[in-house]
Amino acid sequence: MHEAFLIARREYVERIRSRAFRISTVLIPFAFAFIFGIGALSGKLSSGPKHIVVASNDAVLAESERAELMAAGKGAQLSVDVRAPIAEPELQTLNAEVDNKRLDGYLWLEVRPGTRQLEATYTSRGSADFLGKDRMQDSIGHALVREELVKRGATSEEVRALLTDVDLKTLQVTNGKAATADAGKGFWSAYLMAFMLYFAVVFYGVNVAQSVVAEKTSRVFEVLLASARPESLMLGKLLGVGAVGLTQMAVWIFFILLLSSSSLWMNLGLGGLAAYGVTPLRLIFFVLYFLLGFFFYSSLSAGLGATVSQESEVQQFNMLIVLPQVIGLMLIVYILSNPGALPVVLLSLFPPCTPIVMTLRMAAMPVPAWQLALSLVLMVLSTYGMALLASRIYRVGILMYGKRPTLPEMLRWLRYS
Amino acid sequence: MVPIVELAHVSKAYEQKLAVRDLNLRIEPGTMFGLLGPNGAGKTSSIRMMVGITIPDSGAVSLFGRPFTRESLKKVGYLPEERGLYRKMKVMDQLIFMGQLHGLSADAAASRSRAWCERLMILDAAQNKTEELSKGMQQKIQFIVTLLHDPELIIMDEPFAGLDPVNATLLQDTLVDLKKSGKAILFSTHRMDQAEKLCDEICLIHGGQAVLTGRMREVKSRYERNRVLIDFEGEDAFLSHEAIAEYKQYPGHVEIKLKDHADAQALLRAAEQQAKIYRFELVEPSLEEIFIQTVGEKVDA
Repeated sequence: MHEAFLIARREYVERIRSRAFRISTVLIPFAFAFIFGIGALSGKLSSGPKHIVVASNDAVLAESERAELMAAGKGAQLSVDVRAPIAEPELQTLNAEVDNKRLDGYLWLEVRPGTRQLEATYTSRGSADFLGKDRMQDSIGHALVREELVKRGATSEEVRALLTDVDLKTLQVTNGKAATADAGKGFWSAYLMAFMLYFAVVFYGVNVAQSVVAEKTSRVFEVLLASARPESLMLGKLLGVGAVGLTQMAVWIFFILLLSSSSLWMNLGLGGLAAYGVTPLRLIFFVLYFLLGFFFYSSLSAGLGATVSQESEVQQFNMLIVLPQVIGLMLIVYILSNPGALPVVLLSLFPPCTPIVMTLRMAAMPVPAWQLALSLVLMVLSTYGMALLASRIYRVGILMYGKRPTLPEMLRWLRYS
Repeated sequence: MVPIVELAHVSKAYEQKLAVRDLNLRIEPGTMFGLLGPNGAGKTSSIRMMVGITIPDSGAVSLFGRPFTRESLKKVGYLPEERGLYRKMKVMDQLIFMGQLHGLSADAAASRSRAWCERLMILDAAQNKTEELSKGMQQKIQFIVTLLHDPELIIMDEPFAGLDPVNATLLQDTLVDLKKSGKAILFSTHRMDQAEKLCDEICLIHGGQAVLTGRMREVKSRYERNRVLIDFEGEDAFLSHEAIAEYKQYPGHVEIKLKDHADAQALLRAAEQQAKIYRFELVEPSLEEIFIQTVGEKVDA
């Protein structure tokens, strides 16, 4: 144990002192900010000023729909013109205007003469639009009802009262108390945490593999083996690199806290961490899942790293580290909207996917305590198993040079004394 | 005396290949022991079992008179054949780290490192990064790493490979000093001239088996003094003398191998009648010749 500690300390001190550590500590948050900035920016761009036309053979309906759209698109820079009453052939001019970008789109409402049947068509250049299909449908429904109510002599006050949108508040039950949850902000924090986990585990896992290969090619292992067991070498390496990872995250979290309590942050209206649904429980599990995920994947990475002789060969198995986690990220929307569905629960208990999937579920719902506990137990057991397997491969692999071993050869290594 | 190292009927196989077969050897304190043999003979495999990196399939390894335990490694200094250092680390930090791994305190490791760096004349480089050092200097550092914890048993796998003559002599002299102070030293080498000069005892391995073991003097005395070196001037007709099995002639010098039990004095008399003799020396075969002869026989067999 003393050997492992010495090796971990050397790994830690040398890494913290290195230029690579300082550069990555500064650059990675910028890279994150950049990625999220692009996301936000593209959202802004798509919601730029819009100019659309409501066309109909029923002038009253068109006017009413215009009011609805203006109300629904509140906040967006939106100008809505009405062309009514017109007949279908005149849509050719509108098509042309959309085509040469004088209009972003038009909504054609055609009431069949003598009936109440309405056909609605929205035409634009792109398939994406400013409101979303659901809300546009709602607005048409409202317009129809409004027209009908006015026809039957309802006053404008009565109409407004009847058609007021109900503001649906969402509450989350946590520890028996219901609290308001801001779905949007909760989503962002879940997204950020999942990405941080993914990134940190992959980054440090690959780091472990690379440094194992580097020590193997430089033959440091041969010298170290004169005084330390291979198991201590591996454990020391994982502890050292893991501690570097924790240090780096602590630096980032410290600055996030500092920034989030600063007036600049508040002026941007971003609110404290609590507004993002980041509870102490979620933070604790975040750190636990980082540690377990890190040890799980970096054991795998150390074992596999010991089987190759050149750093370039490390890339061949990076896929094994990335893939199970990418599954979690690809399903991010599904997991956040169905956090209690059986497949999601099972995925969150499957150790290679647990850290990311469970972090996402915790953002979307209060996960039952037994599931959290079970996920921890399963992760600890599988991490232990992985470390055991990896250390057996590692022990043999670090002294083997030349040709990469085949899978059957590696399986034989497991049985070596 | 309790042997420092004792291997009894040790065998080790890798996959299909038998690396070491029924090897026996003993090393006493204050002995310089040479483990000799061609590439792939099983030298490194044998050494790895002595330091517990691998475990024999059968047979027993004892260190300091007791069956092998990792605890006894505290008294062993091992310099592997393939050796490296942390390239980015400062030399002094590296030495202290390795010293601590061998159980020294940081202070003790630091003061001993300084003393050794001074002795091997690399103190100036102690604050440099390892990768900035020449290969020879890095080898000195590895040498120091092996010796820092003052081991009773020093095991070096090809310690002189790649060293220039000046540094090789410096390290040889250091090993001789350590031997005089009572350490047991085992090293493997291809260089028979070095082994001949340094070793008290040798073990020649070939194909995983010991083919020749014993004290250097004793090993050599098993072979007849049947090599003749002559420096001469004049006729060389004596080279057709019946005592000569084969010879190599150089300007003014000839190296002769005599037939078994031939009379060297008769050859001297014949030579002296035909040429002016400056030197006539009857010598025992060199270790290199013994090596080639022994290994060659085995290869043929």
